[in-house]
Amino acid sequence: MHALHHQHGTGQMTTRPIEAQASKTAEHLAALLAKVAANQCRGAFSELFQYFAPRLQAYAANKFGNQQLAADLVQETMTNVWLKAHLFHADRGSASTWVFTIARNTGFDYLRKNKHRLTDLSADELWPILAETNDSLNDSAHNHSALDDKLLMEQISSYYKQLPDSQRIVIELIYIEGLSQQEVSDSLNVPLGTVKSRTRLGLQKLREMIDHD
Amino acid sequence: MIKYHPTDQLIEQFAGGLLTPALSVIVATHIDLCPRCQQVAHDAEQLLAEQVMHTTPNKLPPELNQQFNAMLEQILATPAPSTIIQPPYHENLHLNGKVFNLPATLARQYHRIGEWSRVPGKMLKAPLHLGSNECINLIYMDHGSRVPEHTHKGNEITLVINGVFNDEQDEYKDGDFVLLSQQHTHQPETRDEDCLTLATLDAPLHFTSGIARLLNPFSSLFFK
Ligand SMILES: [Zn+2]
Repeated sequence: MHALHHQHGTGQMTTRPIEAQASKTAEHLAALLAKVAANQCRGAFSELFQYFAPRLQAYAANKFGNQQLAADLVQETMTNVWLKAHLFHADRGSASTWVFTIARNTGFDYLRKNKHRLTDLSADELWPILAETNDSLNDSAHNHSALDDKLLMEQISSYYKQLPDSQRIVIELIYIEGLSQQEVSDSLNVPLGTVKSRTRLGLQKLREMIDHD
Repeated sequence: MIKYHPTDQLIEQFAGGLLTPALSVIVATHIDLCPRCQQVAHDAEQLLAEQVMHTTPNKLPPELNQQFNAMLEQILATPAPSTIIQPPYHENLHLNGKVFNLPATLARQYHRIGEWSRVPGKMLKAPLHLGSNECINLIYMDHGSRVPEHTHKGNEITLVINGVFNDEQDEYKDGDFVLLSQQHTHQPETRDEDCLTLATLDAPLHFTSGIARLLNPFSSLFFK
């Protein structure tokens, strides 16, 4: 048992340097992508370009048997890397894999672009890696606004309880229950004009309370 | 549990972008439904990326080097797109008084679903217009449907999207990817449940000849 462990240990020793180097490269590439995403770092992108462009050129030239078409693929792929680096998620795969999948998608479309038809299936529909998906929206603006809304609602609810009943009920029905002013008028059996003025007064008072805080 | 999967080789070809549109859609739809094959596809992408990226490319010829320098400048000068276009996505398919939840790949293909038409034996079909010359159809079998016995003059792939169908060999459920070669004689049928499937011919890879139209009665029923 002991001997086996030991052997295993030495085996790891001999392979570790290479593995470490490979993973450092992967980490380095991911870090460069993060820099491009965060502040459009031109230096980081240039380094990514130096690394990926010749490799993609070889891949595409082999695929199409045409250097110019291959160069087009390199340009389109790397332009997407430049503009969409924020869609790279290091937890879902390596930088190399992400760049490869963009190139794969571009190549897939090139194979049927001769026809120039919008009706054709596009690679984005199979692999929507560059779509500003719900994920990326959720990560940023979407979640924030949902969170902000929730905070705002909590804050407001502590205030509107201080409103006079007649105004509070109208505000509640419209802004929490989601009724229209006409529906409120019908359900409370109050003229529409009254509902409107109570809403206006209630909101005004709420704003004053928030501003004062 | 999904019992029938595409071969790993087919998933690798899919991950490499080497399959035709119809085969790509049917494999991608299976992958939507199947965690196992999601992993296989993920691994395949990683492996392919390593093959492409982890080789040291030959030294660039001077003219390509120049072209790359110009390209880099051009890319750095590219302005960010001002509008974000959301691709169409529609996941509810209303059919025969029921609502089917389409897997993501098909939800993105909703606008390509053609008109539904009746097929003898309590069935409905609608083509998927992918812009290729391939035959790919959504096929709906109401409960108690039966396809006449037939043999295939080519390979046919059927993916179960929702429901159950049977043939002499087995029972096929949600996510099952059923490949039927020309050796098979079979008689698909539904029993108590209905079944929505996506079916295509086994098409050749890119760069090879077009698909031979099948001639037997079953194929003319579905694939025309
Ligand atoms: Zn599977």
